[in-house]
Amino acid sequence: MSTATMTRSLHVDRGAAEDLGHLFALWQEQRDPRAREALVKRFMPLTRSLARRYDRSSEPFEDLLQVASVGLLKALDRFDPHRGHSFPSFAVPTILGEMRRYFRDCGWSVHVPRGDQERALKVRDAQETLTNEHGHAPTVSQLSQYLELETEQVIDALQATQAYESLSLDAPRPGGEDDTMTFGDGMGSEDERYELVELDATLVAAIRHIPARERAMLHMRFVEDLTQTEIAARLKISQMQVSRLLRRSLDQLRALTRDASEV
Amino acid sequence: MADSPPNVRLNLANTPENVVVVREMLSGVGEAIGLDHSDLNDVRTAVTEACNNVVLHAYEGDPGPLEVQLHLASRSLGVVVRDQGVGLPGEPKSLETDTGGIGLHVIQTLAQTVEFVEGERGGTDVRMWFKAPQASALVPLRADGDQARTLALPGRPTATICIAPISLARTILPRLMITLAAHAHFSTDRISDAQLLADALVEHAQAAIRGDKLSVDVSVEPRDLEVHISPMGIGLAQQLIKQTELGELGGVIEQLADRHEVLHTGAHETLALRLSDPR
Repeated sequence: MSTATMTRSLHVDRGAAEDLGHLFALWQEQRDPRAREALVKRFMPLTRSLARRYDRSSEPFEDLLQVASVGLLKALDRFDPHRGHSFPSFAVPTILGEMRRYFRDCGWSVHVPRGDQERALKVRDAQETLTNEHGHAPTVSQLSQYLELETEQVIDALQATQAYESLSLDAPRPGGEDDTMTFGDGMGSEDERYELVELDATLVAAIRHIPARERAMLHMRFVEDLTQTEIAARLKISQMQVSRLLRRSLDQLRALTRDASEV
Repeated sequence: MADSPPNVRLNLANTPENVVVVREMLSGVGEAIGLDHSDLNDVRTAVTEACNNVVLHAYEGDPGPLEVQLHLASRSLGVVVRDQGVGLPGEPKSLETDTGGIGLHVIQTLAQTVEFVEGERGGTDVRMWFKAPQASALVPLRADGDQARTLALPGRPTATICIAPISLARTILPRLMITLAAHAHFSTDRISDAQLLADALVEHAQAAIRGDKLSVDVSVEPRDLEVHISPMGIGLAQQLIKQTELGELGGVIEQLADRHEVLHTGAHETLALRLSDPR
């Protein structure tokens, strides 16, 4: 094969199908690396587009693209142009197969992928930065612009924080000394403590199971009507943490009162 | 699959941001049935392709409805993506014109089976089945008509969500509320409140809803969410509000929603909630 023919097949669009067949022949029969390079170049947009389909996963895009490219190389080796199928119809399953294998090998079934955790921490930090800048909590689109992430990635990060104990600075201390306080104690208000006596016994018992700081948090949100950002500032923790702890305490309260009513 | 009632049905407009709503619903279902992360990603990716097709091609650039149905069966998961658009003349060509022309290949690779069927009211059903080793068949929506939603929101709701059995809503509804609150430009503060509200609703819905199907209509406006939950038995909407009370903490619904109202419509009640984020 002369260099002149090679050059023609790279630069002339006319008769593209024949040229492709020619390139495949060059690569598969003669292992001509230039032919492979030309084919890779030709199908890189396809590969990139497939990698982008998994881009909202927890893996960095560069890693995804690399795995997809390995799939492309395998497809270039195995494609048989004489069977009458188009290369994309053969390459797409091969490339996707490579990516799916990669996800399995990377232990995606492990509880929470590390990429998700890191992203959640980034979102948390950005939330604080933007809150300080604007004086109120940011929206998801502000966060996604600031972090150059997809809206969906930010939404997922907000959900993910619910799952991470590692973000917590205040693991609950059931049975700890301060846990025997009634709900109002942390607030320093006699009236609130008094009112508690009037409460349904089940609920009182349930609230006693909630760690003191989370009880205080519930009080700030539901009785004092502070926003989560205001609570976060008061307790010197992040709003995400407030969100998570509030959700957990409410879940706990519901579970405790549910159990009691089922007895 | 199309003949049997689904476990989850979403009725949305064919906007790009609603594809995120669909994906979040799938994540919620995945969590409910313990679907492996990698299998979930395959489902999400294939369904995204089918939805993108409805967004980009089904109505030739015009707005139109996007319906997604989810069916849980023994060890598998079925998803129907339905439009009422121009239809697929013979071959699913519109999927082929997707970026790079590979949408169809992606669906065929990731789904165990895929069918392209002309819909009853025109348009196209893309019916996909995926393997889901942990899934088991759940009692689906009965008589999947719209009779439960006799009290529609003024104008068209942005999203109608039907879930059966109600227990399935535990992992789905909070995610959808977060997503819709994000689309309403809520701050992360209020997004979290919307999630807490959804948790409370799901917890107590079982006792208030007639039958085992939860129907939620949501209207999204800038900084405003209107949420209608139905069909509740007579007197049960008020009871649900009461059940979310936490003693001196007050009621979760009363405290977190800006407005709540019980709407009466013949044989059932609708709980109407409004959340806003004036900042």
